[in-house]
Amino acid sequence: MPSSRDGFTRDLCEEIPRLPGETRITDKEVIYICPFNGPIKGRVYITNYRLYLRSLETDSGALLDIPLGVIARVEKMGGASSRGENSYGLDITCKDMRNLRFALKQEGHSRRDIFEVLTKYAFPRSHGLPLFAFLNEEKFPENGWMVYNPIEEYRRQGLPNGQWRVSFVNKRFEMCETYPSILVVPYHSTDDDLRRVATFRSRNRIPVLSWIHPENKNVIMRCSQPLVGMGGKRNKDDEKYLDIIREANGQISKLAIFDARPSVNAVANKATGGGYESDDVYHNAEIFFLDIHNIHVMRESLRKLKDIVYPNVEESHWLSSLESTHWLEHVKFVLTGAIQVADKVASGRSSVLVHCSDGWDRTAQLTSLAMLMLDSYYRTIAGFEVLIQKEWISFGHKFASRIGHGEKNYADTDRSPIFLQFMDCVWQMSKQFPTAFEFNEQFLITILDNLYSCRFGTFLFNSEYAREKEKVMMKTLSLWSMINSDKGKYTNPFYTKELNRALYPVASMRHLELWVNYYIRWNTRMRQQQPNPVEQRYVELLALRDEYVKRLEEMKMTNSAKLSSSSASSSATSQMMPHVQTPF
Amino acid sequence: MEFSELIRTGRAEALLLPGPGQSPVRGTLCITSHHLLLSAGHGSPSDLWLLLRNVDAVEKRAAGNSGTITLKCKDLNVLQLEIEGLEETLDIAGSIEALSSLESVTTSYPFFYRPQSLKLGDAEDLHPPDHFYQQVALETNGWRLSTVNRDFYVCASYPTALVVPRGIGDEVLARSARFRQGGRFPVLCYYHSINGTVMLRSSQPLQGANRRRCAEDEELLKAALAQGGGRGLVLDTRSAQAVKQARITGGGTEAKAAYPGWKRLHRPLERGRPLQDSFVRLVEACTDPSLSMDRWLSRLDGCRWLTHVKEALTTACLAAQGMDREGVCILVHGAEGTDATLLVTSLTQLILDPKCRTLRGFQSLLEREWIQAGHPFQQRCAHSAYAQGRPKHEAPIFLLFLDCVWQLSRQFPLSLEFGEGMLLALFEHAYASPFGTFLCNSEKERYLCEVKTKTHSLWSSLNQSKERKRLCNPIYSPNPLALWPSVEPQSLQLWAGLFLRWTRPPEPAQEAWEQLWKIVTEKEVADPL
Repeated sequence: MPSSRDGFTRDLCEEIPRLPGETRITDKEVIYICPFNGPIKGRVYITNYRLYLRSLETDSGALLDIPLGVIARVEKMGGASSRGENSYGLDITCKDMRNLRFALKQEGHSRRDIFEVLTKYAFPRSHGLPLFAFLNEEKFPENGWMVYNPIEEYRRQGLPNGQWRVSFVNKRFEMCETYPSILVVPYHSTDDDLRRVATFRSRNRIPVLSWIHPENKNVIMRCSQPLVGMGGKRNKDDEKYLDIIREANGQISKLAIFDARPSVNAVANKATGGGYESDDVYHNAEIFFLDIHNIHVMRESLRKLKDIVYPNVEESHWLSSLESTHWLEHVKFVLTGAIQVADKVASGRSSVLVHCSDGWDRTAQLTSLAMLMLDSYYRTIAGFEVLIQKEWISFGHKFASRIGHGEKNYADTDRSPIFLQFMDCVWQMSKQFPTAFEFNEQFLITILDNLYSCRFGTFLFNSEYAREKEKVMMKTLSLWSMINSDKGKYTNPFYTKELNRALYPVASMRHLELWVNYYIRWNTRMRQQQPNPVEQRYVELLALRDEYVKRLEEMKMTNSAKLSSSSASSSATSQMMPHVQTPF
Repeated sequence: MEFSELIRTGRAEALLLPGPGQSPVRGTLCITSHHLLLSAGHGSPSDLWLLLRNVDAVEKRAAGNSGTITLKCKDLNVLQLEIEGLEETLDIAGSIEALSSLESVTTSYPFFYRPQSLKLGDAEDLHPPDHFYQQVALETNGWRLSTVNRDFYVCASYPTALVVPRGIGDEVLARSARFRQGGRFPVLCYYHSINGTVMLRSSQPLQGANRRRCAEDEELLKAALAQGGGRGLVLDTRSAQAVKQARITGGGTEAKAAYPGWKRLHRPLERGRPLQDSFVRLVEACTDPSLSMDRWLSRLDGCRWLTHVKEALTTACLAAQGMDREGVCILVHGAEGTDATLLVTSLTQLILDPKCRTLRGFQSLLEREWIQAGHPFQQRCAHSAYAQGRPKHEAPIFLLFLDCVWQLSRQFPLSLEFGEGMLLALFEHAYASPFGTFLCNSEKERYLCEVKTKTHSLWSSLNQSKERKRLCNPIYSPNPLALWPSVEPQSLQLWAGLFLRWTRPPEPAQEAWEQLWKIVTEKEVADPL
């Protein structure tokens, strides 16, 4: 820590919040060009985890406190000869819908150091440095790595059973590098069968079970596209395998295959060796295309959305501008697709197989949303964590590539907001069913913030294989450790527990809303709302409810105590009784 | 006139096609003088009991020996009935058309409706005409209650009791009234007790092309300004161009030279035809059954309804800011002063005055600033969004007000004692109601029709304790501060609970509401411990 030698800066430095394991790198006087309140003179502090800005004009706390992982790009603006006020400095693009701009003094290359430090610590993987998650020494009472245990989760679903078995064919990731080591497959397929099927599926991602309906035993399967190619290749093992899946629930109906792509794209994929299951070959299957576009389209759509909401919201024709981003339309297609998948399974008509091209983006969106609609367990805090851990993390959604953790290549075309889009769909559902989810909006936003922060190991790397190699579970903390240690903060007080009700959101454009509290949260004009926001009231209500439940328990205790030994009741408790009896 | 003459076929077998999330009802359809009844027998809960006044448009279609009638209701619901017998179908459609559009007030349903739980005239003391004055008199003695309009002679659309500057005599008021369209001279409508500034409303001065002046009118506003701190702002709800036009036909606005101390600001607000068109287009967009909804947002944009909401709220904020922050007196008027004017004055009060945000306070605001202030409900709400043909005087200005209140309630979820249920009920009752509260266009007409003694008041019905859960906000906590709403485009939303009410199953929102109530009642039960 270079500047801690002089006492003055150390004093200031004391005031910067730091996580255990976080070290300070540098600080600098800058002018923060706030897009809402104009230029503010401040001092920026850079640690190996965050960028922190304190105003030098007022005594207010942090103006900015941003994990460096959020930064997508750092640019120099203006040159040594630039004229005009505040024209020389740094321009920072963030992954969470905002940009930052700092002006510095033009004399003596004053921005060089800070530019270099920022670049180095915001993009540690491009500089041979570890991600902060590997340095973080926080301690939490809960251990989030214990949240998901695949065997337990499958057991919860009633698996294995007479039709489905657990396979260890991928134990050391030898069959498929991007799949987890534990898979659930048809009982009547041998591991050798699976290996043969793998040769016909893109990146060996064979159809495996994601979820089984507790009553009608229909299943949701996921996989990648078949390697049909221009020549229309066939694979007997794959065809047989799908037939076994179809028959596993004891029904004779056709297997429904949901290809997430628009059909033209599915056809176009033949040119690169992919394709889809045509019904001339798969007689017992029926294919539906869900018209969801690819990662590049989604990235472009979100970029347009950012353009109209940051820094200022497009005032005239706001709704038309919003429409022209197509963001909500894409959300609609994802939700509609998931509804079709869920409905097919729930209505008892048939099992479904979901895939796109590689089966790790749109497929993950569809299976996890359908599961959220069908299984109330996933609507609890613990269940939602399992859902993300299972359908996204363990099945190889390429978080590292899609987010670009610690990488400087902001223009990487592998980046795309697929997970954000999924979370948007979840938010839309929670809006339409305000009592059905145990978690609140804060929970969703916290997950998204830590998608970028690199404070936890949860979203790092592309696959289980890579995470095992990097010993993520040993060397980093889980996001769920933090969340589960402070659950009250993320709990929806209106949650009413109910089992096995399928939730079908209305996916019409009329009923979808822009998630303003996420996408436009940096706009300070949005924030000047009531001094006691409804969140606070939620918390109050929650506390009341807990207290009430506690009292009720106490009553029950004293009541049963009274029943067993009638002499033991105190006068105080007997006075309390009449009030509580009424609502029951 | 006999109702029976209009009922050609009173009975038929019919099937009500289900709305989203409902089941069909098959049974006997019955037309009475004021209702359409469809009963599956034995008082089944799914019975349809429709006030005919609620029918906005009737469409009939014949197919073989049966027919379909589509009833488009003023509350935006659309009902489809399949009726056995072609003749029956045509007769019934004709009867509904005739009975739903009766113009006579005194034969309307409120004059026949006699619920057991209410007594006639029991609302008389709820909102006495001098109540507002009593409130003001507690704070200041600069104002007096004038009964210059006791026989509605000075102004046909004003109530009998009006609050005016103390030093101004009735003869001055009468002369000022002659200088104002429809006799609506400037009166006090809100006293901001925090700093003593005031808000007045009126109609336009009859300035005309040769710029007439009226000494008494000038004297009246001068006296008002003296009471309210010396600086004034005339908020004209029309554009400068529209004022110029108005001058040609005898209207105008306050000339600066004639009213020292008063500045003028034009804040054009839409009213009349354009507003009605906007409403019609919005409802069309919301009920369009075509599935290609990819143009929804631009269609919503194109209706401009949310723009009207934004403009109304912005103008009210401006007035509120002027009073609260800058200590300026406000006079609001447009042309007649019975539409956009009332929208602005009532919204301003909701923003500034916590008393208006309680269930009772809101009712008294509506009573004072809309009903007694002479908003012509009968004309404006004669038809809703489905009516065929050119609208005459219809305009959803009151609905626009309710929408603005809904936006406030969404942005300040704790600060209003009433909830969406109350706003929906007000919308329904303004357009079709068994109660007399929204009948007629003015107090004078209500007096002539004896509305207050011969019909029941909506307020006494809404104030029954059984209505509490439907109308009240379970998480209300009084907020003494002004509510400054955000009028950024992303902060304003389509009022789905109203405009999309019939196109989606209502359960989830209903459940959340009930859950909220449950938590709160649990609290109330737990509290005495």
